[in-house]
Amino acid sequence: MPGPELLSSQGLRLDGRRPDELRRIRCKLGVFTQPDGSAYLEQGNTKVLAAVYGPHQAAKSKLSTEGVVVNCQYSMATFSTSERKNRPRGDRKSQEMSLHLRQALSAAIKTELYPRSQIDIYVEVLQADGGAYCASVNAATLALIDAGVPLKAYACACTSSVAWRGNHPEALLDVGHVEEAAGGVCLTVAALPSVDSIALLEMSHRLHMDYFEVVMSRAMQGCKDIEIILDKAVREHLAEGWTKPDVITI
Amino acid sequence: MTTEDSIGEGEYAINLSYPGFDLGEAKKDVISGPGTYIFNGRIRSALAGVINEYEDEKTKAKTISVVSPKAPSIVPKTGNKITARVTSVNARLVQCQILCVEDFVMSRPYRGILRKEDIRLLDKDKIDPYKCYRPGDIILAKILPMREMHCYYLTTAENELGVVICTAEGSPQGIHMVPISWSEMQCPKTLVKESRKVARVIPETINRSFVLATPGEDEKTGLENTKTD
Repeated sequence: MPGPELLSSQGLRLDGRRPDELRRIRCKLGVFTQPDGSAYLEQGNTKVLAAVYGPHQAAKSKLSTEGVVVNCQYSMATFSTSERKNRPRGDRKSQEMSLHLRQALSAAIKTELYPRSQIDIYVEVLQADGGAYCASVNAATLALIDAGVPLKAYACACTSSVAWRGNHPEALLDVGHVEEAAGGVCLTVAALPSVDSIALLEMSHRLHMDYFEVVMSRAMQGCKDIEIILDKAVREHLAEGWTKPDVITI
Repeated sequence: MTTEDSIGEGEYAINLSYPGFDLGEAKKDVISGPGTYIFNGRIRSALAGVINEYEDEKTKAKTISVVSPKAPSIVPKTGNKITARVTSVNARLVQCQILCVEDFVMSRPYRGILRKEDIRLLDKDKIDPYKCYRPGDIILAKILPMREMHCYYLTTAENELGVVICTAEGSPQGIHMVPISWSEMQCPKTLVKESRKVARVIPETINRSFVLATPGEDEKTGLENTKTD
């Protein structure tokens, strides 16, 4: 059970946030010219880059006649964690994260429009301070919008945990690394808030069923709030980038 | 996500939309066009871009579509007429890069294969692909129903399909050959004749500015440039 140190007597968390407060999110679309779409997102101290290569002909081994194949690669930079990691690509955790990313984003992309094609999504975590998966999903959504890939809705992800105030549980939104390492339960939700559906739900540790509703609803609210922030960034990007001409040469 | 966002005022206002943005109710006379989809009876946008409303005069049906500045490439479908560039020729087949599908330019070329038997209708066993196509030719072809998974199968077994633009071997770049018959083309500069499977393109539909190397020739041939971009 998480100890009382996660929530101080004044109701503030270890980094000074209130229990229902998200970390500051700053993001920018179109940071690279080479990929079809790209985005940079910061969620507190977690910094993530995403690049998308739009629908192109799929490699022979990966074809599907039903829809587009979404190929995700998640990798963490060697300098992203407090201990230097020597194997940034291909290790088990990266592969697992890649699969989770694929699950969340395949739910958002309109896959039936591009049969026998492939979309490549590359996510690089530059600094990990908890919630790297969520930041990756949010950054990848922005990169997909920048690439012009049709989406059903924004795909947003958020984590939430639980702390005890006296005897009743208080759900904490957007878990940082310190709170995660303190041993508390961490629920990750990747959802499409506009259409009220959940793409991925994952929880570490164990949580009693009675408290699940509290934690879940806070995470869903967090996803809705993140969607508003992402939407604002997309509007600004569209409004300023509209006059750029599109040049295609054969 | 239903708040409106528009740039400009009055008749110059452009309405922007975002994935998941609610565009209205899907009724009999309101159709969802490209860039949109229908969810729970409401039309929603699938792209981040500008909302376009097009009203068809005959059926009075309104089509709502969303146009994005970064247009995603479309996928070639069976029966589409495509423009391709030949990349390699061997005794059995011709490999090409699909450049355009109907009127859309692909942002990423797809691979297509033209088999020896699909080059023309008559005399299928006596064809030499090297006498019909050479690497670098621009051809018109149609997509066949999918047979194998990893690439598109093409056919040029029709009169209007075949080579449109090509350069003779040894001729300077940019000098396009002129068709003499359905199986031969001649370079106007070096007067070299080469055999190709020529596409019979109806003259009124040629946009001469693409085919001509020098712009002055329009007056000499007297052909009208009736196709507008």
